[in-house]
Formats: sequence, structure tokens, C-alpha cells
Amino acid sequence: MTAIWTKNLSKKYWLYKKETGIKGTLKYLIRGEKVFVEAIRGLDLKVEMGETIGLIGPNGAGKTTTLKILSGILYPTSGEIKVLGFTPHKREKEFLKQITFLSGQRNHLFWDLPAEEYFNFCRVVYQLPEAIFKKNLKKLVQLAEIEEILHIPQRKLSVGQRKRCELVAALLHDPKVIFLDEPTNALDLTNARKIREFIKERAEEGKYTIILTSHNMTDIEQVCKRVVILHMGRLVYDGGLDELNRSNGFKRKIRVSFRDSWNKEWVERLGNVIFIQGQEVLLEVPPENATQIASTLISQFSIQDIRIENPSLEMIIESIYKKEDERVFK
Amino acid sequence: MDMFRLKAYGRFKKGTSETLRLPIRYLKLLLLFTKIGLMRQMAYRPHFILMVGGKIIRIILLFFFFQAVFLKVDRLGEWGFEQVLLLFATFHLVDFLMSITFQRNLIGSLPRWVQTGELDSRLLLPINQLFLISFETIDLMDLFSFIPSLIFLGYIILNLNFSFSGFQIFLYILLIFNALVFLYAIHLMIASISFWTTQSYGIGRIMDNLFKIGRYPLDIFEGFWKVCFIYFVPLIVIAQLPVQALLDLISWKWIIFGFSMSGSFLLFSISLWKKGLKNYLSASS
Repeated sequence: MTAIWTKNLSKKYWLYKKETGIKGTLKYLIRGEKVFVEAIRGLDLKVEMGETIGLIGPNGAGKTTTLKILSGILYPTSGEIKVLGFTPHKREKEFLKQITFLSGQRNHLFWDLPAEEYFNFCRVVYQLPEAIFKKNLKKLVQLAEIEEILHIPQRKLSVGQRKRCELVAALLHDPKVIFLDEPTNALDLTNARKIREFIKERAEEGKYTIILTSHNMTDIEQVCKRVVILHMGRLVYDGGLDELNRSNGFKRKIRVSFRDSWNKEWVERLGNVIFIQGQEVLLEVPPENATQIASTLISQFSIQDIRIENPSLEMIIESIYKKEDERVFK
Repeated sequence: MDMFRLKAYGRFKKGTSETLRLPIRYLKLLLLFTKIGLMRQMAYRPHFILMVGGKIIRIILLFFFFQAVFLKVDRLGEWGFEQVLLLFATFHLVDFLMSITFQRNLIGSLPRWVQTGELDSRLLLPINQLFLISFETIDLMDLFSFIPSLIFLGYIILNLNFSFSGFQIFLYILLIFNALVFLYAIHLMIASISFWTTQSYGIGRIMDNLFKIGRYPLDIFEGFWKVCFIYFVPLIVIAQLPVQALLDLISWKWIIFGFSMSGSFLLFSISLWKKGLKNYLSASS
């Protein structure tokens, strides 16, 4: 069943540009310069129930705008859109009860009060039966490890603790579709790992459809199987992570440490030798031959250590941004 | 036939209970917002104590101001001292109900939420967004300035040589409700402007000062200003019409005028709010 479907989705608006300084401010007051922004251009997207998608792109690509239109916060300028069969910007109660939106940048809980007050507020607003509320709360509080901080006002908690409380509040009503906008933003390694694991467990259950944006590629690699890349409002890639690597033709690197003597000319026939230091060699090979070449080296020589190094997701994504920039500005 | 009547009764009961369910749910939400608002105010003890003291002092000072005015004059327009005090107490009743409910939410909070993007999370809660935005924070702090107003109102009613009929009291209450609808509409219009301008604090402050004119009898104005405050920005709706109804000094023409002013302002303000929401761009992440 399709959870999210968009056809030719666009978001366009006018903004006033303001220059710096007093002169710029006065100019803006008298005759402000208008700038036309195309945040999203003709986006076609289809997401099945239970899928977890990583939505990535450089700053200003339209990731957050896309999430906000899919959740109903913003109106689209044109195009068609359905989420769980509803038109999001109509904000029907039955639709809102089945989705959730968590932004890593903003705090929704009551600043002056403990998290449990907000959880009770959610119970009333989402009309959760008492038994279901208690069951969901107990499970989520345990998973998020916030038992000790439930009674402490939000303003006394650290960023990581508040984020974990936010996550619990967002999932209390057991939504079918979860929109996560940079959920590990500004978190230390431990808290980022906890949030990531929490999301990964929800993703593995298969009953939630999750769309996640993040600049942290570890979040994407560990949680998502499919990525959608946006650049200047346009969709430039939509597919699996493995496919992303292969389709961009990035070569693999084989790092090998020989135990005994080895034949340089023989090794050079296998691939492009980038680096030699004593018994250690770094070899660049096509991705489809990497495993075979590694096996050949093991069978021909006495090897102390051998490793196949994949290009990082950051490198691949950056190369895509670069290609798109070249294409647009050509 | 009995089965038919029984089924019809069952359907009637179900229909009635479903019709009642929605207002009951929103009443429960209003009580929840009140409880949360009070907890948040009391979270800071010194601030709470100082706020209470300040509000009581403010209302007492206003009473002494009116007393001082009436040391110099017998009447304000056609209004005597007790009638002016009745007008003053009624104005403060309306002001109190407005300030504990929608005023701070619409004038203070909504423009800030539009500016910072905090409106996003509120748009995603499964309750009527206009209700949530208007009544999210119920601030009971003004109860402490309202109690002295109630005491004055009681003192005036006991001292006025006048008897009030049930109908006059009913009309008084109805016109107070009408005043709140009018003020709500104005506040919603001002707040909705922030969808285009991002800020509406300045206009809010101007209107706040303008509304305070409503606690004086509008007879003290003449010419252009009198016409303005009666027909263009009908401040007469806020306190003067309810008091005139209570004192049996009102005609049906003015009652209809009052209701139609509130009704038209409300329809326009809701339309502006809906347009504003379509224009909302949130704030960058």
C-alpha cells in the first residue's frame, strides 16, 4: 500500500531581500528587493508503507520544505499529493492522528514543566484511551531511557535528554508515518547513537513509514535502505544506498600488507597502484572486481592484512552535488 | 410501532450525545489549558507573588483616579459617578475575560510563533487550530485584579437606586458575550497580519490603548471622534452597550447594531486567518 505519493509537486514563493547595514535596512523599508524562490520543483515521489527513506541534499535543497508539505504544515503551490490517502494541508483530524513530525531544531514540550505533563496533554489531545496511553508510555520511556528525568522541568535538562523526551511525545499516539527533520542535530555521540538506535528499531518493526533528513551520513547509512537526493528543489536520485555507490562509478581501494616478497608488476596489472610504503600497497580497482582481485592477491601472495575500502557516503553525495552544480550553472 | 419508536429514540439519543461530545471535548481542553497555564505561572514563585501584588495595586489606583475626577465634576457626559463605576467595572469584566483567554495568545504568542516557526507543531495537533492558538495559554493571573472589580460592581449595584429585571440581566450578559466576540475578532485580525508582516506587536499595542477608551462613556467625545468610536471602531460595543442594557437605557436598534458589528468583524477575521495560514512559510530549520 502506498503511504506517500506526490506528482509534480512544487513550492514557490516571493521573499524580500535585505542588505546589511543601516543603508540596506532603509532601502529595504522603502523599496525592498523581491526574490523569487523555487523551493521544490516538480517532485515525483512514491513511498510504500513500512519504508524508511533518507532525504538528503545540501542546505537550501528543499528537504525540510518537502517534509513540511508532506505533513501539512505548508501548502504546496501546485502538484498533487496524498499521504495515507489524505491531502495533508487540509489537516483533517484523522490524518493528523496518524502522522508525527519531529524537528531536531525546536522544542515542543512545555519549557517550565516536566515531560510527563506534556505526555498527559498528548493523551487528551490525541484522545488516547488510558490503557493504551500507559502501555505506549511505559514502552517508549524505557526505550528512550528517560525514567529518571520524567519529573524534571524541561529547562533543567540537557539537549540530549530533551530530544529523547521529544521523541517519546512524538510517538505516543503510535503514528503510521514519522517525519524526522535532523533528529540528531546538535547531539553528542552517545545521545546521537541512542536516537539513531531508537529510530532504527522502529524502522525494523516494518509498521512505520519513516522519512528522515540529516546531514549526518551515519544516520542515513545505519537507518535507511533508500535515499532520495534533492538539489535546488529537484530530485536527482531516488534509489538504494548500494545502487548509489555503483551507479556513480566510484572505485574501491584495496589496502594490502604483504608478509613476504611480492611482485610489483604483477600487482600493477590488477589495478591502479596509488601508494607503496614498504610492504604496504594501496590499490584502486573497479567496484565490480574488488572482491575477485582481493581473492587473487590472497591466493598468489602471503598476506598479513587485506582490506577493501568503500568510498564514504559523504564523498559520493558530494560528487553528486558537484555534478548537479556543473549541470545547472553550465 | 413500539420498536420503531424505540429505534427512533435510540437514534435521537445517539445523535444528541454525538452533538454534545464535541463541545464537551473542547470544554475539557479549555480546562486542561487553564490547569497547565496556572502550573506554568506558579513555576516561578517570586515572579508569581510580585505579579499578584502588582495587579491588585493597579486596580485600586484606577478606582482612586475615578474618585479624583468626580471630586471636580458631577457627571461625565450624561453619566453620574455610580454609572461610570458600573461602566468601569463592566469594562474590567470584559478586559479580564479577554486577557485570561485569547488576548495574550493572539497578540503576544501567535506573531512570535509565526516568526520563529513554533506554529508548525501547533498546526499538527488534531484539534481545531484556531481554538488551540486562541486559548492555548489560559492566564488566571488577572483574577487578582478582577476580584476588586467584582467588589466595586457589587457595591455599585447595592447603592444604585434601581431594580434590574431578569431580562435586563440576561441582555447584559448576552452583550458582554457579544463584546468578547467583537474583541476576539479584532485581535484575530491583528494577529493574522503577522502572516504577512511577521510582526504585529506595534499594531497590537495601539489597539490595546484604543480599547481602553471603552471604559469611559463615549458621550465625552464629540464630532469626528464620537462617530469614529461608535461606527468605525465601535468601542461602544465593549462596555457601554451592556451597561445601557442593564440600566434599561438601550433601544433594539443599538442591540442589533452591536450584534451585527461583532458578527461582521468575526466573519472577516476568520477569512483573514484562513488566508494567512495559506501564506504561512514557517521558519528555516
